[in-house]
Parts: sequence; C-alpha cells; structure tokens
Amino acid sequence: MATTTAAVTLSSDLMSANISVSASSTLMKAGTTADGLDQIEYAVLEIATGDEYDLIANTPTATKASKLYVKNHSIDETYFVAVTQNSQAIGKLYGGDWMFIPADFHDAAADIAITSNGGTNKIEYALIHEGTTLLAT
Amino acid sequence: MATTCNITIASDIAPGFGGISESMTLTQAGNLTDIDSTTGFSLRKLSATGAVDLVTMANELVEPKDSVSAKIYIRNIGDGRGNIDKSVGVTIGVNAETIGKLYGGDWMMMPLTCIDADDVTANPDTDNTVVLEYIMFYEEA
Repeated sequence: MATTTAAVTLSSDLMSANISVSASSTLMKAGTTADGLDQIEYAVLEIATGDEYDLIANTPTATKASKLYVKNHSIDETYFVAVTQNSQAIGKLYGGDWMFIPADFHDAAADIAITSNGGTNKIEYALIHEGTTLLAT
Repeated sequence: MATTCNITIASDIAPGFGGISESMTLTQAGNLTDIDSTTGFSLRKLSATGAVDLVTMANELVEPKDSVSAKIYIRNIGDGRGNIDKSVGVTIGVNAETIGKLYGGDWMMMPLTCIDADDVTANPDTDNTVVLEYIMFYEEA
C-alpha cells in the first residue's frame, strides 16, 4: 500500500491560553481503511496576472478522497492568488500562504481555479488522488 | 503576537518525491502584520446527516473583514471518544459549494472570504456521532 501522511502543527498566542494543535493523517482512498491514495500530480507554476486558470489540467475522479496542497511562493507579501471553485470564491493565498484541502471535484466545473494578482505568482501544488481522466491527444 | 502553521507531507507514491515541509505565519492581507482575530478553538458534535453551518459569517461577534486573508483549520476527530473511522466522513462546503470530505482523522487548512454568504458548512455521511474541531483566524472589519 502506498503511504502518504500529512501532518500539521498550528500555534497561536492570540488568546491568553496559547493554542497549540498537532495532527497527522494517513491519506486513504475513499471509504477504505486499508488502501492509501496512490497517485500524485506535483508541479511548480509561474502564473502571470490576468486570467483565471484551472490549477489541475486533468480531471480527477469525482467524489473521492483527493487532497490538494497549494502554496504561494511569492516573496512579496502584497502578491496573492484568488482561489475559486465552480465560480465560488474560496479565499486568497498571499505570498507565503499555503492551503491543504480535501478536493471533491464533484463535476466538470468543480476544478480549483486561481487568478494571480499584484504580479507573477509562483505556485507549488500537489494533488494526491486515486484516479484521473487523462486528456486524449 | 504570532500565529504559525506548519505542514509536512511525506509519501512513498513516487521515489523521486522528496516530500513537502512548509511553514506560514498568518498575517493580515498585503502586509507582514500578524493576523489579529480568532473564533477560538471549538468542537462541534454532529449526530445526524444534513448540512449545518460550522461558521456563520454574519453571526460572528466580531465582524470579519471580507475578502482578505482569513484561514480556517478543521479536523475530523472521530466520535470524540477516541474512535476514528477512516471510512466515513463529513463533507465540508463553502456557501453552496462542496469543497471535499474529511474522513476520520483528516484535517484541512483553507483560506476564506468571510463574506456573509460564504458560510462554512459540514454534512456528515451518517447519523453516527462525529466531532469536528476547528478554529478560524481573520481580520477584524
């Protein structure tokens, strides 16, 4: 079985009792307890300002247990990418920000799309999944 | 005051994949000032299918600023009594849009708009008790 783990540590002193969270998850295929996600798409892209682009070129199998990691490697804190799904604004990743989400891809329009703002943003992403429909030549 | 979040992804899917280890400091939009507001750490127990708001933006006591650098961390911690079932999950959404499903033990860290309509929703697969822990960081409007 392929084994992929995603661990997080989160700490904050915004409250008088400091917040400290630590968690780790082994990424399994949908509905299973013994079979790990076994495919990955990993890339670094430079995205110029202007148009909105689909981050994932292929079509991952819908409603599975895919996980998506995206980081904005821009070093200018004023640069950001706006993240949308199916025209629904999700949020913004400023320079240095990252996100890690379960990605459902429940229909053809449900890809993750990003729009670069401020300047060219350098984006790293990893899609860990269990199947995708490749584009025919 | 600082809020930091680190991620480490390790995998043997591809021999050449060296893994990911990254850190971020949560700051306000467009500058290096630390983010200043949080909902605090919360647990939400769900015992029935059907979408519910995990965060209702319009109901926050401190109004979040829209379309800036808010983030939310959510984790499915199982039934809250130490039993974590990887085969069932809770579907997380924003507004009417499904984002994805957190199976037992899974976690997510996601940016948010904090616009009033863009509530964060949770919809369990089954009527069995499942507990989500979550915390949102945002800028005060």
